[in-house]
Amino acid sequence: MSLKKLLKPFKLISIARRSGVVTVLYPYQKSLITTEFRGKISIDATKCMGCGACVNACPPNALTLSRRDDTIILNYFIGRCIFCGRCAEVCPVGAITVTHEFELASTSTRDLNESLVHRIERCSGCGGGLGATSRMLQYVILHSPASENYVHLCPDCRKKKLIQSLAMKMGARTEDYEG
Amino acid sequence: MRVDPLKKSIWVFHLNTGSCNACDIEILDALTPYFDVERFGIKLVASPRHADLVLLTGPITRKTLPKVINALRAVPRPRYVLAIGACAVGGGIWYDTYSVIGGVEELKKILEENGIEIDRIVYVPGCPARPEAIIYGVAVLLGLVEQKVHGEVKIAE
Ligand code: SF4
Ligand code: SF4
Ligand code: SF4
Repeated sequence: MSLKKLLKPFKLISIARRSGVVTVLYPYQKSLITTEFRGKISIDATKCMGCGACVNACPPNALTLSRRDDTIILNYFIGRCIFCGRCAEVCPVGAITVTHEFELASTSTRDLNESLVHRIERCSGCGGGLGATSRMLQYVILHSPASENYVHLCPDCRKKKLIQSLAMKMGARTEDYEG
Repeated sequence: MRVDPLKKSIWVFHLNTGSCNACDIEILDALTPYFDVERFGIKLVASPRHADLVLLTGPITRKTLPKVINALRAVPRPRYVLAIGACAVGGGIWYDTYSVIGGVEELKKILEENGIEIDRIVYVPGCPARPEAIIYGVAVLLGLVEQKVHGEVKIAE
């Protein structure tokens, strides 16, 4: 065996000493997470109004909106989320925050679902479902105060109200229209 | 059939089922001296016949499906699968594409039809999943740590 081959381990030791220990001690040490790192999103149940803007923006449809009876359900499936943060960008009320949470491993996909249930408002005229949550109505009123008079009515009742007010202007008696 | 739990070091086989390669690079990263998973006894092997755990990445394209079935059949019991990345967990951005079957959930049904049992599946979300997330996933699989996420239903007042 040549001398060079014999000395190889010593050479390696000297290289290793120079570079030192690089191995991180995770899980016994906090992992390196920069401020830009995007993990799981968190939806603030006290702010979200169930508008679905995030659902439209979500590329893999990790966020879905479904309607069951009197509720609107916003479901977040972490398993499909690509942690792009677009939902947080588009949310009009800033209900979504991107957290640094990445330890999301789970033994079943059921544990990877988070739901937020909203109750829908009823039309103040006929009592039918309105398709909007009370927070949505508040949001609309806040941004366009003129809508306050008809925002609590369903489209049918709104039409009725418009026709009634037009007819009143033209001098008709309202009883004729209510049949 | 009752299968004894794993008692020795866990050997892993890396199975790419049509992923974009980012998840695979994170797996390789986890195997480098920087994370040095061999300190936990996690060792990469070249054949599924030697492996305990299959690191599955990608949404399982129709082209790879027969090979995936063959590879999983070759793994001895106890047979574990770690579904890494949004693709493997739920199909990711390709979940409704014509050319993929859409993740391990769908694969499980196909495997059942073929009589292949998987003893445990752990899902690791992320696109790609961080190397730490993969290590954490293996720890969850072996029961070393408690799972952190739990499905929850919140009601907006
Ligand atoms: S965009 Fe914001 S307010 Fe609208 S449903 Fe999503 S989280 Fe809720
Ligand atoms: S981070 Fe991206 S993928 Fe995840 S829920 Fe938000 S929009 Fe969808
Ligand atoms: S989960 Fe994301 S990073 Fe991983 S293979 Fe799929 S697309 Fe690529």
